[in-house]
Amino acid sequence: MMLDFVSVSKRFSRNAPPALEDVSFAVERGEIIGLLGHNGAGKSTALGILLGMVAPDVGEVSIGGISVQRDRVGALRQVGAIFEAPAFYEYLSGRRNLEVLTAYSGGVSRAEFDEVVEWVGLSGRIQHRVGTYSHGMRQRLALAQALLPRPQLLVLDEPTDGLDPEGIVEFRHQVRELRDQFGLTVLLSSHLLSEVEQVCDRVIILQKGKKVHEGPVGTAGERRLVLEIRSPMADSLLPLIEVEGGERLEDHHYAFPSEIEPSALLARLIAAGAPINHFARSEGSLEALYLRLSSISPAE
Amino acid sequence: MTFLRQLYWELFRLYARKRTYVGFGIFLVVEMLFYFFWTREKAEAGMAKFIERVAGGFDEYFSALTLAFLIVVFTMLLLGVIFVSLVTGDILAKESEDGNLRLLLVRPVSRFRLLLVKFLSCQIYTLSLFVFVGVSALVVGVIDRGWGGGMLVWAPELPRVSLFTWNEGLARYALAMVGFSLIYLPVIGIAFFFSCCRIKPATATILTVAICVADRILSAIPLPAFDPYREYFLTSRMEAWLYLLYQDIPWPRFIEAWGWLTGFGLTGFVLGWMLFERRDVKS
Repeated sequence: MMLDFVSVSKRFSRNAPPALEDVSFAVERGEIIGLLGHNGAGKSTALGILLGMVAPDVGEVSIGGISVQRDRVGALRQVGAIFEAPAFYEYLSGRRNLEVLTAYSGGVSRAEFDEVVEWVGLSGRIQHRVGTYSHGMRQRLALAQALLPRPQLLVLDEPTDGLDPEGIVEFRHQVRELRDQFGLTVLLSSHLLSEVEQVCDRVIILQKGKKVHEGPVGTAGERRLVLEIRSPMADSLLPLIEVEGGERLEDHHYAFPSEIEPSALLARLIAAGAPINHFARSEGSLEALYLRLSSISPAE
Repeated sequence: MTFLRQLYWELFRLYARKRTYVGFGIFLVVEMLFYFFWTREKAEAGMAKFIERVAGGFDEYFSALTLAFLIVVFTMLLLGVIFVSLVTGDILAKESEDGNLRLLLVRPVSRFRLLLVKFLSCQIYTLSLFVFVGVSALVVGVIDRGWGGGMLVWAPELPRVSLFTWNEGLARYALAMVGFSLIYLPVIGIAFFFSCCRIKPATATILTVAICVADRILSAIPLPAFDPYREYFLTSRMEAWLYLLYQDIPWPRFIEAWGWLTGFGLTGFVLGWMLFERRDVKS
């Protein structure tokens, strides 16, 4: 077990609602797990507790079997982290920034340093001032600092925020590579459904500080064809959909076996006399799940 | 070794900032202003009168060392607290504001060590500032008055004027600069404490300067009723660096004052650490 989050609760002030409430989950070594939720769902608090920056009121987090709350330094030896909009010392070069930061990790060898810098694609600019870096280069530097010295768990907080499409694709590729080549466990916190869907093996959805879903992206996230179908006679539409092997997920969202051809299905529904106002493929199956969960209060 | 490496990189970071050199440059400008003041005809005439009265031999005692001493005292009185508060107030609060702190806090290092590195770097930085001011003032003095002569030290806090030969004066001047920087530990302690709080860096600086100025004003109230309490004021204690320029250094008094001030400064560090240790830093 790489990460064990056990019954963690946190409230920042007495009158405020809980930022996290009895959240538990575990992450196996080599897994890429997504932490999904709206702004304010508790993702940042969960990461803060995991990284020892926030003290939980109740519960405990262990990394590689070492409790963050009891031995923060020991637990963090295994972790590298990237935050949204990573801040560096602008007046120092990329190299100097890494040297300042890695000094607090006990230092790294020159060979390891150069290898990581080359791997993230910063070799040509590492001597330049960070103030001259583009957002994408800062993100590469952030990845480099997270990988020095080699961690076992990589924590990514909204890592692709502000990146251009090419940068996003490359970052996703790097995350997969880190797992596949180096065996890293990755915890990816994001509000981008497509990102989590494309990168993660499993997803945890937080809502108002509570865990409302945990499961593999492939099955619980509905790998079936999800369509948004709107009709003024929704009740009479449902039996027709069931005949086609479909299932209602939420208002206007229906899941069908993946082999169904949407245009043929639309033709059949119209032929069966169903008035259809809107017929569209839902952008992602995880989206359907997420929307469904979002429409339900955690208390329910 | 790891601790020293962390300290080295923290100092590297501090000295790599452009504003460090802007700050040093401002000190140099102010030193030059005081140099011009002390070498104007009227000021020099006043000094000549004073020196002839207390020691005799204006040319002997209005030397590079005496001039440097006068420049340093007034420059530090004007800027010392402000600059030290600025640097120390920034040390954590600015990193917290800029977001750099998060990247440090996820490193496998205790918060105590992180703060200790930063606190010590502030003290070393202050020492380097005093050395810079001391050396630059001396260079200005030597250019103006030449190498050699005696040294005359006078301040209201001194029981009488101190007179030194050139070599003795040089040693005392160097010792006083180091002592002066050590005496600043309470200012570092106060600013560091505020820097550990969840406040803006400018607020940490302003609060520290405000405390020091208020302390100075209260300690300087010339009423006999204040006399028994004067020793409890921070700025009164901080005048202890002048003991190093007494004709015969009263070491027990200096050590007592230095111990008191060090205790005060370290208390600021400990309180700041206790506060910071409990502080939630959200990512």
